[in-house]
Amino acid sequence: MLPYLGPALFSIAALLGLFHRKASYLMLAASSIVFAATQFVYGDYLSYYSIIAGIVWVFAGIYSLSYGERYGKWLASLMSLTVLGMSIILVSNNYLALIAGWEIMSVPSYAIVALNKSQKGPAFTFMTFSEFSTVLIIAGAIFSFVVSGNSTFGFIHLATFVPLLLISFGALIKMGMSPFMISEWLPIAHGNAPANASAVFSATMTLMGVFLITRMIFLTAASPALVYIGILFLIIGSISILFASIYAYISENMKMLGGFSTIENQAAILAAFGLYLVTGSAILQEFVLVTIIIFALSHAVSKTGLFLSIGSTKGEYFGEARAPEDRWMRVGTLLSTMSLSGLFPAIGGLAVWMLLESFFMQAYLGGYIGIVSIIVGSIIAISEGMATGAMMKILSFSALFRARKGPASKVETVTVFSVGAAILILFIISVLFVPAIFRGGIPSVLVFNGFTIESRFSTADFGLLSPDYVIALITALSLAAFAVFRRPKTRTADVWNSGRSVSSEYTSFAYANNIRLMLRRVLRTRMGNDNQPVSVIDVFWFAMNSFGRGYRRMCMIATRKFMNSSIAWYMIYMIIAFMIVIILAVAFY
Amino acid sequence: MRYYRFGNPEGRFIGNTEKYAAYENVISEHRHEIGAESYQNLPGEFTFAYGPATGGLIESVAFDLHTPGELIKHVGVDPYVKTRPLKIRGLAPQDALLMVERINGFHAASNALAFEMAVEDALDIDVPDRVWYSRLIMLELERIRSNLEVVKRVCEPAGFGVPQNQISYLRENVARIISRLAGHRYFFSASSIGGCQISKSGIETMISSVKREFGEIFNALLESKIFLNRLQNNGNINEGDLLGPAARAAGRNVDARLEEMHMPYADLGFKPFIFDEPDAFGRFYVRSQEILASTDMISEALEHSGNSSATDTAGASGEGAARVESPQGDLFYYVRITDGRIEDIQMSSPSLLNIEAFRKSMAGNIFTDYHFNWESFGIWISELAVVIQ
Repeated sequence: MLPYLGPALFSIAALLGLFHRKASYLMLAASSIVFAATQFVYGDYLSYYSIIAGIVWVFAGIYSLSYGERYGKWLASLMSLTVLGMSIILVSNNYLALIAGWEIMSVPSYAIVALNKSQKGPAFTFMTFSEFSTVLIIAGAIFSFVVSGNSTFGFIHLATFVPLLLISFGALIKMGMSPFMISEWLPIAHGNAPANASAVFSATMTLMGVFLITRMIFLTAASPALVYIGILFLIIGSISILFASIYAYISENMKMLGGFSTIENQAAILAAFGLYLVTGSAILQEFVLVTIIIFALSHAVSKTGLFLSIGSTKGEYFGEARAPEDRWMRVGTLLSTMSLSGLFPAIGGLAVWMLLESFFMQAYLGGYIGIVSIIVGSIIAISEGMATGAMMKILSFSALFRARKGPASKVETVTVFSVGAAILILFIISVLFVPAIFRGGIPSVLVFNGFTIESRFSTADFGLLSPDYVIALITALSLAAFAVFRRPKTRTADVWNSGRSVSSEYTSFAYANNIRLMLRRVLRTRMGNDNQPVSVIDVFWFAMNSFGRGYRRMCMIATRKFMNSSIAWYMIYMIIAFMIVIILAVAFY
Repeated sequence: MRYYRFGNPEGRFIGNTEKYAAYENVISEHRHEIGAESYQNLPGEFTFAYGPATGGLIESVAFDLHTPGELIKHVGVDPYVKTRPLKIRGLAPQDALLMVERINGFHAASNALAFEMAVEDALDIDVPDRVWYSRLIMLELERIRSNLEVVKRVCEPAGFGVPQNQISYLRENVARIISRLAGHRYFFSASSIGGCQISKSGIETMISSVKREFGEIFNALLESKIFLNRLQNNGNINEGDLLGPAARAAGRNVDARLEEMHMPYADLGFKPFIFDEPDAFGRFYVRSQEILASTDMISEALEHSGNSSATDTAGASGEGAARVESPQGDLFYYVRITDGRIEDIQMSSPSLLNIEAFRKSMAGNIFTDYHFNWESFGIWISELAVVIQ
């Protein structure tokens, strides 16, 4: 019964929200700790997702104590309900519970987006994709049920790859990557929710997708088909990561930037799944698995920090942001953005390093998979560079250099800083997250055993990193610099503009406009209308909308031209549709 | 006034003076409106203030570049940041000439000759033919040096150090030719009201050498795809009033030398070089071709040229106007002289319309195009920022 304690507490938190917001948020935070503690099993990779989710929910709950005051009681209840759905997914031991959890997660999320703004679009967009995702997961579950001989909806081991494929694509929708490489629904939905909910969506709803793929990979027996699925994941992952990082870089809506950054991170994880499936090396598979967990951890925590800090700027667009006047808040934001940029000394730096190491290890093994790996690895490296640009944009224009400052709530400051501190601490203790076979040391140069994370096939190292020594070096050198130079003397002076009175601030739009212009063929950059200097098109979203509109037009034409008041045509249509369904059912059965 | 009359606007607009608007043959008392557009930044855009004193600019001029980043949406140009008052009114024409030729030292010959011609027009002074040939040589030599300077400055932002320095060397050679011809590197005091004093020995050989050497550099530049890419489609402008090389690059048969009554351009078979690319490349190409054409004209004019001393203007009165084709376009002067003193002087520099053309041509360009385009117009701020008193 212990595993279900967490979900039960989340249910109570949801009910509590109807009466008292703060109590509900507090309960949510406390329940998350209980949930994480009751789920953890050392060595069980699937249980790690509960820990990751738990960390996020704790921070989101505490942050909401202050931030949630700006919204009604509905937000407290709905957020707890969403979390309840996720917790059910994490504890589920059969497809039915999983699907139930998936829907419990999605419906309140839809309500949060719908109630937050008067616009219907974002909420409907969210719901459409959520249901599409559910349909694919149900299809996968049914397939599993069928191959079990119609005996169980439990998570049985599968000799076929079909459930993996169907459920993975269902999960990929939640991760913002299917049916097209980038589905703008995710930034739209996450960007239109309150910041605390955005953090939960971006950090943990996507984590559910990662969890689901991991679960399905564990259930699916090795077969040559998995290599092709792996290559498919690598292709989708590499295209998505590249475009998501570009769209993040040029986004003017801070939360949508966060949303694109989420897709970028999820794409990196998907690429890692792809590598896991294509590699023939068991040790590399193990390393990739650890990479996925650390990447998911880093993304979840850092993205929480990012969204919470965005929430504290009291705006959605860069132009509206008021940088909170608090250095601890800025430190927290800095660490979150550093982590999402893949920089040391943040856990995200380790995650990106491990991911790139994984691809280059596979490249070392040669063959066509090696070539694919080097290409995908290079694309990831380029995208991480672009992601760094996007994160520096958000750090600069929402936290550091805004001329207009705003007040900072103590609770929000403490939470954002704590997330930053967690990112740093996770990096320091990250050696503990990797199995002993990937730990090592070089005592001859005073790097003691157990202090390095080593990417290796056997005893010989491929690459290594010592997070503790990185931290120690940064600390020692900073202290040495401080001891020698002391606190730098700074003064603030008005900008000298050749004696002219023109005073205009560099804008976030200008920061990213070089990419809009350089990639004009890809982004379909156009001189904008009266309110927008330069406009771009998300080609994936545009293609999907065009497809949808085209389909609707075709249906309208068919309805009006052929079936309008014509029972004969209608019957023909019904018969053909029925026959197609029967043929497909027989074929797949 | 023999060539100009006051009246309603008619023909090609040349520019505004302090009081008047100058056209091909008409001076209008109503200044021509040149739209001073104001621009409000859109969300995300900002104003990048460039100049008036900064690297890359050789004169004081302030630019407001309205941009959403990289892309330039609108440019505001203020050439009047540093104005120079010149007290000319009340001076005798020969004294005023000393001030006029210092309005823009680099185009001293153009300014001096336009002023002298206006005074000669006002006072009905006849100038010997040989002097007109000498004045033509001065103008064309100045054109060569000015165009060399522009081509050199176009090479500079491209990082083309070798041709840039080769052209600097050529420009220095031309300055030495000018010094040898006029006794001053900037033609100061070489010409006078009704006269001119030049020394032409050895000039022909030296000018042939300049032509040959520049021809080689020019052909080499045309073979550089990198260089051409920076110029082509940069600063396209073929609308509104254009003057000088900017107009000719845009396919307009516009040149004050075509309408010149005294200087023997027609006798030398002068035909302006017209091109069909209204961009920085077109302007670079036209200027380069004009360097080569000017060397030919100088060689031909040398044998007919000669000197004559200045005419005394004491006590004379009259009103006159004149226009010459300076290296950057039509340069106009109007004078009214009473009892041998300058009572009124009006001047219109081609910089006025060229700045407007540059401003319009920058919309849609990116920052890195800016210098190429600006230099290709060969604009001199000093001619605009002078306040004649």
